Amino acid sequence: MRWYERIAAIDRRIIYIILSVLVIIPFFIPFTMKQNIMPQTQRLYNFIDSLPPNDKAIILSLDYTPQTMPETHPMAIAILSHCFAKNIPVVGMSFDPQAPGLAIDAFTTVVDGINLNALTREDSVIYGEDYVYLGWKSGRVAAEIQMGESIADVFPRDYFSISIDSLPLMQRVKNYKQVSIAIIIAGADYPQDWILYPQARYGVRVGAGLTAVMSPKYYPFLQTGQLSGLLSGMKGAAEYETLLLKNGYVKQLGKAETGMNSQSLIHILIIVFIILGNIGFFFSRKRK
Amino acid sequence: MKRKIPLAICLIMGVVMIIQFFIPHPISLAFNRTINNWVIVLMAFALILAIGNLIRHHGIRISHRQANWPYSAVTLLGMFAMAIIGLIWGIEPESLYQKIYLNIFAPLSASMFALLAYYMTSAAYRAFKARSLEATLLLASAFVVMIGFMPFAQYLHPRLPAFAEWIMQVPNMASQRGILFGIAFGAIATAMKIILGIERSWLGGKE
Amino acid sequence: MWGLTACAVSVQYTVFIILILAISIVPPTDVIAHDHPNDAGSSIIISWTPSQDNEQIERYIIFRKTLQDNEFTNIGFVKNTVFTFVDDQVQDTLSYQYKIGALADNKLYYSHPSNEIRSYPQNFHTGRINILVGIIIFGILLVIFVFRAKLGKKIFIRKIPGLEAVEEAVGRATEMGKPILYVPGLGDIDYTSTIASMNILGEVAKKIAVYDTPLIVCNRWSVTYTVAKEVVREAFATEGRPDRFKEDYVRYLTEAQFGFAAAVNGIMVREQPATNFFIGSFWAESLIMAETGAQIGAIQIAGTDQVLQLPFFVAACDYTLIGEELYAASAYLSRQPLLLGSLKAQDYGKLLVLLLIFVLTILAFLNINLLPILTIQ
Repeated sequence: MRWYERIAAIDRRIIYIILSVLVIIPFFIPFTMKQNIMPQTQRLYNFIDSLPPNDKAIILSLDYTPQTMPETHPMAIAILSHCFAKNIPVVGMSFDPQAPGLAIDAFTTVVDGINLNALTREDSVIYGEDYVYLGWKSGRVAAEIQMGESIADVFPRDYFSISIDSLPLMQRVKNYKQVSIAIIIAGADYPQDWILYPQARYGVRVGAGLTAVMSPKYYPFLQTGQLSGLLSGMKGAAEYETLLLKNGYVKQLGKAETGMNSQSLIHILIIVFIILGNIGFFFSRKRK
Repeated sequence: MKRKIPLAICLIMGVVMIIQFFIPHPISLAFNRTINNWVIVLMAFALILAIGNLIRHHGIRISHRQANWPYSAVTLLGMFAMAIIGLIWGIEPESLYQKIYLNIFAPLSASMFALLAYYMTSAAYRAFKARSLEATLLLASAFVVMIGFMPFAQYLHPRLPAFAEWIMQVPNMASQRGILFGIAFGAIATAMKIILGIERSWLGGKE
Repeated sequence: MWGLTACAVSVQYTVFIILILAISIVPPTDVIAHDHPNDAGSSIIISWTPSQDNEQIERYIIFRKTLQDNEFTNIGFVKNTVFTFVDDQVQDTLSYQYKIGALADNKLYYSHPSNEIRSYPQNFHTGRINILVGIIIFGILLVIFVFRAKLGKKIFIRKIPGLEAVEEAVGRATEMGKPILYVPGLGDIDYTSTIASMNILGEVAKKIAVYDTPLIVCNRWSVTYTVAKEVVREAFATEGRPDRFKEDYVRYLTEAQFGFAAAVNGIMVREQPATNFFIGSFWAESLIMAETGAQIGAIQIAGTDQVLQLPFFVAACDYTLIGEELYAASAYLSRQPLLLGSLKAQDYGKLLVLLLIFVLTILAFLNINLLPILTIQ
């Protein structure tokens, strides 16, 4: 077999082994590649950063599933870290039945990390005062519209079955009037309904964190200003983590950065194999 | 007669549901809700047939010890186990059913999704060859977008990330929208052909 | 002395009145209530002209009463940038009246009451007239071209490589003695693409019945399974081969997305089909199935209406039906004049839309915005 025939027909098992190694390497040999921050990520970051502390809350709708977790879970953690670092209250909720477990994990990861190093009440994040998680609700669109009048009507109890009237945060966050922005993190087409209904009727701002495949669909909404910012895939999450680190809100980068390192190495691998395949193809054709 | 009755039902229901779309009256909305409920009931009955087929197919493979019959045993075991666990102990958040779902099924689904990374690599290696002008354009734009979205793209050329973003936002969106137009008209035409009885291959049999 | 005091008091009083008048807020005016159009009733829209002192208003509070009530009750509020309110808590049998209270400095400044109004359901949704016009135009096109086809006029359809290859693909499987795998997508039967896939399955099954090639049809949904089974059974009967149909040809797998993909992969690896058809709606699992099929060396023909999955099929499959080629397949394979005529109607419909976009774009450049006529309510 000639050399150009070999490189045009590399056994896919070799490709898979190299790919597996490249995915794993960044987890053991951490390195940092400087992220180029996309405008849509910067917009969302700037918006949240401009919010005054202890004022209006942010609604964080966590609607992703285990399949899209690598891209979306780091987004949730990054946004929660930003909000808690700035003392911005967070009202969490989910409209996908598979999401609550992951949502609780996101909250627990961030809150435990903060409270571990907290010395005073001001440094701490307390459930019911600084954040609540309302759990899952069916009838997504109807719920989104009704929250414009009363969140308590839609979620009379939170995820832990506590009456929300007894939660200090929910005693002042009654509806969208006390909400600065609703950020939807999803692997499906959920942000569009938030734009169509709550934003159109009640004027609530909307931001989104989506998988890389879904993001292009929402570029027109960014252009019209209907979306106040967008995190696109794992890259978007990594960019947000970079912004948090750069501005001192976190001490180290999160999992998205590691994931992006793996993704970048895989992209390089794909490019290398495509080049090899084309070289083999050209020489084979020339030979014929 | 065997074909005329389904065609008549298709025509009547198709036209009625189109008319219903234009009538916001409560009677019209109630009719729409009723039809949707009927569909749910139909699906439930069809599920019985489908599960019957599943049990029959895998049961025969097990009883005749056909090739790979253990996989059939696992399939039936999984189906019956989840059904019995759910029926007896419930499906509330802390139930065994949910634990199995979250700790076995969800990770398995995520693993299947993760296979895409391997398959994308081998598919790109095999398919992205500059055989023709169109294939070369596909190859070039794939290169630009892949490199452009990488963190170090800005070091190769400061405008590379913006160019990659432009490819996604302009030519990519434009062609997607063009294809969507075609799909929309195709779907409308197919629906009208079936309602009007012009398209009958879904019925089978001679024309 | 007394005069001086009286003068001082009157000045104070005058100043007081001026101050009261100066800080007094002008209430909103022209409160109009009308029935919400194009709905099932029980909804009234209230609109008003904002107060001249709108910047000082915190919010507008809406009050309502029936004709039998003595007093107005608070039913909601809007911020000072919104001047309409939809009251969807009314009954069609009662007449209502509204007034608006402008809230400023904890004081309410009331408007005059509105007209009396009663809500009622509409019998026709006027906001959807544009859709009705579109359906009528398209229906006329369909009738014209089907009529022309019936008159025997020859209709030209360009070559679609993916569909030209169907005969070759079926023949290849027959020669190799291997089965044909057909996946009608992961959409349920209410997806038009699934129905189009069933039409194509019928045509493919007829060819398979002639060649007596094994067939495997994998279904995600139970209704799709029952429809596919009947389509295949009838196709075999049409070709005079009802005895060759086997129950095992059509299978129900699972509704779980990646469970379905895993099951199809397993079938491909174990049963080694020579030809794969992926026709219908697919999502993230598309490449998993297509690439496995490519690895076992099967010839693959794919077609989907999910635009985001097209690149994966193009990369992994031998032939891909893009966009409306999927919906043209049934007409293309059967070559029935009526179906070919409907294809022409489809193409002319697209041409009309293209012209409409072009005209609206030119008008937009001339600052004539007719885009609202395309808005769907």
